[in-house]
Amino acid sequence: MNTKKLLTFALAAAMTLSLTACGGGETKAPAAPNGGNNSAASGAQTGGDASNLPEITSGSCATPAVLTSIGQSADVEIVGTLCNKAGVEVELNNTITADELSADCKTLLLAVGGSSKGLGAAGIDADQELARTEDLLSKADELGITVVALHTGGSARRGTLSDSFISPAFAAADIAIVVSEGDGDGLMSGILAGNSTPSAYVEQVADCIETLKTLFGV
Amino acid sequence: MKKSYITGIAVILAAAIIAGAAGMNFYAKRHFVEDIRQGAGVTEVFKLSRYNENLAGTIADTDVYVLKGEKEGGSLLLLGGTHPSEPAGHMAAIVFEENVKVEQGTVYVIPNINNSAFTHNDPLDGSPQYMHFTTKTGETRTFHYGSRATNPIDQWPDPDIYTHTSGQTLSGSETRNLNRCYPGVKDGTISEQVGYAVTNMINTLGIDMEIDMHESSPEYAVNNATVAHERAMTIASEGVLDLQLEGIKMSLEPSPVSLHGLTHRELGDFTETYALLMETGNPVQGRLRGYTDEDLILTGEDPCYVIAYDLGLLYVDYSAGNFPMELRVGRHLAGVNAYINAFNNNSEKQIVVSGIPSYDEMVNGYLGDYLL
Repeated sequence: MNTKKLLTFALAAAMTLSLTACGGGETKAPAAPNGGNNSAASGAQTGGDASNLPEITSGSCATPAVLTSIGQSADVEIVGTLCNKAGVEVELNNTITADELSADCKTLLLAVGGSSKGLGAAGIDADQELARTEDLLSKADELGITVVALHTGGSARRGTLSDSFISPAFAAADIAIVVSEGDGDGLMSGILAGNSTPSAYVEQVADCIETLKTLFGV
Repeated sequence: MKKSYITGIAVILAAAIIAGAAGMNFYAKRHFVEDIRQGAGVTEVFKLSRYNENLAGTIADTDVYVLKGEKEGGSLLLLGGTHPSEPAGHMAAIVFEENVKVEQGTVYVIPNINNSAFTHNDPLDGSPQYMHFTTKTGETRTFHYGSRATNPIDQWPDPDIYTHTSGQTLSGSETRNLNRCYPGVKDGTISEQVGYAVTNMINTLGIDMEIDMHESSPEYAVNNATVAHERAMTIASEGVLDLQLEGIKMSLEPSPVSLHGLTHRELGDFTETYALLMETGNPVQGRLRGYTDEDLILTGEDPCYVIAYDLGLLYVDYSAGNFPMELRVGRHLAGVNAYINAFNNNSEKQIVVSGIPSYDEMVNGYLGDYLL
């Protein structure tokens, strides 16, 4: 009887864990519960208060500018499109390394958000991406490059994987742009408040266009 | 001894009755033909076997609806029913075909791309076999609710390990998953033959963009999302921005280069098309669901998912306590519209269509009202 019970429990557990996926993700399990979704829904604020952050100033960024991904999500493509629509010319390099960062670069734009698919596409894992991030931000600081961190993916781009990239990127940012809905738990505003980082919280991702225009004085 | 004979005969008769009833049910499902009607905008219907003659006369040969505009332009292929257990893609393709008129360019619609997989379901998952919609005229139209995989009657046995043409190995059952069989093999398994036909059709006709419409479990991370081949990223990112401006949450994911057999990877690599795949949440697919019936397919109402949402386990906004077919089909149609617009912004060729039901119309309406 005990064996039967054990077998029943094992089968039930196996069924629960065998999530159905179709678009190409059987190789990855859900990274984490979507805390962002629900914290946003409940309006919970466990971190900082975005309303008290210093405002961004016009013309505080300059070109040449490099856009890279921190976490290898396709949000980097969205940010690239936003820059294009804002009339800001950027060089897109998803995986730029510290060694490749030119001293001519004036602004480094970081599209922050983790994607297992993206990491897989880049042929790296999260630890390697974090190491690249650390080296890149260190080099940017050394070269005096203005670092702008953007989180445009909203609550869908939150969770354990993305949050692991949010922390170092926003801690090193000179300027930040955040789609408000993605910071329901105040993780980013907490980091930004601690550093008094000039920031712009926008309602919709398309609002980033005007913010980018302001930053680059376009 | 006499009693034993009587008992034995009774058991055999009972088994025969049960097997007969089940067999009749399976037979009816296997041979049920969906009544997909040609919309006013359809200019031609042909069989997929035009692009792989090995499919001719098989259950996998399926209809391709052509909506050709009066003016030359770009071209789009819409795939529904890659996984017939994800019915919003199937129904979105049908609603599109029955309602849309193409003014410029050409749209090819295949609502049942894995037709074999429509002819059975997953009874051990408690899956219903059919779904029904009432049209404006009061007529009831019946559609298949099928399986994720090709019917084993058509492709069996599964190997222990499925080796894709790239050399990638997957579990044996994935050999019947059409979305692991691209770019296909002309004389391979029936799933591979279908994949080959699609690839060949895109190459032969020079189809500019392809959109594969899927659904996924609410607890699965890639949800309310578009997966795009790297060449399609510009179009995809513009489309996602437009959707977000409309208030439709859509995230963008890159197609992994090392995961083979999928439309967004192989059709992008083996053709010149811009390959996209859309996912929308579907509680009936999820493992956290409770009682499974047609109502769950149509409404997406499930108390277990309400609990899961409250626990922060989902990747979709389930605050309304449902995820109806109209919302899921509306998302797909809005996505198709957004990606057509983005394609037009990035191409000299144009695709101009009219009559796609808007997201608001779908969400606030009833899908049956958009069926002929």
